[in-house]
Amino acid sequence: MPLTREDVGSIADYARIALTDAELDEMTAYMNEAVALLEPIRQYDLEGVEPTFHPIGDLSNVMSQDVPDDEVRHLPVDVALSNAGTSRERSFRVPSILGEAGGDR
Amino acid sequence: MAAATSFDQLSAAQIAAGVASGDFTAVEVARAALDAVESRDGEVQAFLQVTPELALEAAAATDARRAAGEKLGPLAGVPAAFKDNMNLVGTRTTCASRMLANYESPYTATCVQRLIDAGATPVGKTNMDEFAFGSSTESSAFHPTYNPWDTERVPGGSSGGSAAAVAAGEVTISLGSDTGGSIRQPASLCGVVGMKPTYGAVSRYGVVAFGSSLDQVGPFGRSVADVALAMNALVAGGRDPWDSTSQDCPVDFLEHLEDPVEGRSVGVVPELMEAAGLAQEERDAVLLAARSLEEQGARIVEVELPNIASAIAAYYVIAPCEAFSNLARFDGVRYGYQEPGCPTLAEQTSKSRAHGFGEEAKRRQMLGAYLLSSGVYEKYYYPAQQVRTLITADYARAYEKCDVILMPASPRTAFRLGEMSDPTEMYASDMFTISNNIAGNGGVSVPMGLGAASGLPVSAQLQGPAFRDRSLLTFARAIERAVGGACVAPAFAGRGGELA
Repeated sequence: MPLTREDVGSIADYARIALTDAELDEMTAYMNEAVALLEPIRQYDLEGVEPTFHPIGDLSNVMSQDVPDDEVRHLPVDVALSNAGTSRERSFRVPSILGEAGGDR
Repeated sequence: MAAATSFDQLSAAQIAAGVASGDFTAVEVARAALDAVESRDGEVQAFLQVTPELALEAAAATDARRAAGEKLGPLAGVPAAFKDNMNLVGTRTTCASRMLANYESPYTATCVQRLIDAGATPVGKTNMDEFAFGSSTESSAFHPTYNPWDTERVPGGSSGGSAAAVAAGEVTISLGSDTGGSIRQPASLCGVVGMKPTYGAVSRYGVVAFGSSLDQVGPFGRSVADVALAMNALVAGGRDPWDSTSQDCPVDFLEHLEDPVEGRSVGVVPELMEAAGLAQEERDAVLLAARSLEEQGARIVEVELPNIASAIAAYYVIAPCEAFSNLARFDGVRYGYQEPGCPTLAEQTSKSRAHGFGEEAKRRQMLGAYLLSSGVYEKYYYPAQQVRTLITADYARAYEKCDVILMPASPRTAFRLGEMSDPTEMYASDMFTISNNIAGNGGVSVPMGLGAASGLPVSAQLQGPAFRDRSLLTFARAIERAVGGACVAPAFAGRGGELA
C-alpha cells in the first residue's frame, strides 16, 4: 500500500524536519518511488540467514581500556561551544523544553 | 630545472624527490599549486575553500626540516586537497551543506593529519554532494563542480571536487570518501585513479559520518603510484585508537606495485558485463583492461555474484537508515544552522533541520526514518542485513577462484548538469560500486583513456578481497603500464602552476 501524504507528514514529525505543503507532496512521491526500488529485498527467502551488521564479519571492534588517560584528547569547553548557535557561560543554550510537552508526538 | 615546468606534470614521487634534493622548494610547489587553482578553479569550481596560509605554512615547515638536515616524508611538498567532510583545524568543514556553512573544524581528521605528517601541503577543501548524498556533486548547497574534461558535465560524486581538482591539475593528490561509490565513480568520470580501501583500513576519525558501516576514506591521483604513496601515508602509524573500526594495515603499497601479474587470476562476472544501462564504451574499456591483463599472462576466469543485483536495494535500505541515525545529531543546538526566534526546542530542531538540510539530505533521512519505524524495520532493514550476508558470501566464493574481480566502475561517462533530475535514477550511477561497500572490500577505478562515443574518460574497476588492497594496486598498475596512465585534462594542463 503506498504511503499517503499523512503518513509522510508523520514521518517528517518523527524525523524532526518541518516540511512545507509543497515539499510534503514531492516527498510523498519520492518515498513511494524509493520504497518501490527496495522491493528486491522483500522477494528473498531469508530463513536461517544471519544478518551482517558489520562489513568485516570476522573482525570485531577494537575497544580501549576503560582507564583515565592523561593523553586523551578532549575538546576544551570554549572550542566545544564555539560552533553553537547560542551558548551561555559553559553551556549550550536552548529554548524552552517543557513548552513542547503538550504538542510533542 | 631547465625550462619552466608546471607542477601538474610531476608525480607525487617526483615532487617529493625534487623537494628533498633541492631542485625546488616546497614553498615554490605550494605557490605553483595556488597559482594553478587561481587560474583554473574559476571554471572547475572544485574547491569550497582554498587555504593559502595553511599551504604556505606547511610548505615552509617542510623546507625548514630540509634545511635542518631532517629526513623528509614521502609526500614532502605534494599539493593535496581534502573533501569538505574532513576536519582540518583552520578550515570550515561544511559537508557542502547550509547546515554546516559556518562550522569551524574543532580538530583535524586522522586521514588529513597523516597526509600532512607525510609532508603533504594542504591546498584546500573540495566540493561534494551535500553530506555525500549523490553521484554528481550537484547537491552541494554552494555551487556545482564542473568536469575538467567538459565543463558542461558533472564530475561525478559525491567526492566530485576531489576528483576534479586532481583531473584539472590543481593538486597532485586528494582524499575522498566512498559510501556507495563516491570515490570510484567520480574518479571514473574525471579520468583519474580513485581507490576505496577495505573498510577499516583508513581511519574515519574526524570525517563527518554518513553510513557508518559503509564509509571509507581513500585517495585520488593521476597515477597508481601516487595513489599507492597516499595509501602508505594513510596507513602509516597503524590502527587509529580514535576510530574503533580502524584496523592495523601494515602494508607497503609500493613494495609489490611493479610485480608481474603472470599466472594470477582475474574474475569477470558475465552478467555485469551485460548489465542494462552499461554504455558500450564503458564495456569496451573493461574488455580492454581484461585483454591487457591477459596479454601480461593473467588468467581471466568467469565468476558469479548471484545476489549482486539486489545490492542497490540493500544499500538504499542500510545507507539511509545509518544516515538518519548519524544526521540526528544536527539539532541546531551544539553546532550547525540554528533557526532564530523559536519559542520551543522542538520547533527550533524541526525548523533548523528543515532550513539547514537540502532536498536530497531530507529525502535520505525521511527514507531512513520510515525504514527504521516500528513494523517497517522487520520488512526492510533486517532482511537487507541478511541480503548483505549473501552478497558478502558471494564475494568470498568468487575470491576462491580469482585474485581480483574486474568490472565497470560507472555505467556511463560524465553526464550533463541537470540531465539526471530524478533522484532514484541517479541512484543507479553506483550500480557497479555499491556491492563492494556492502561487503566491505576494497576497490579501485582505473582510467582507460577516452571513450569512442563520447570522447570522455572511461574506466575499469578492480575489486578485491578484504585487506588485499595492495594486490588491487598491483593489477591497476599492470593495466596502467599497458594502456597508459591518466593525464591532466587538456583544457587545463599547464595553465598557471609553473615552477620557477
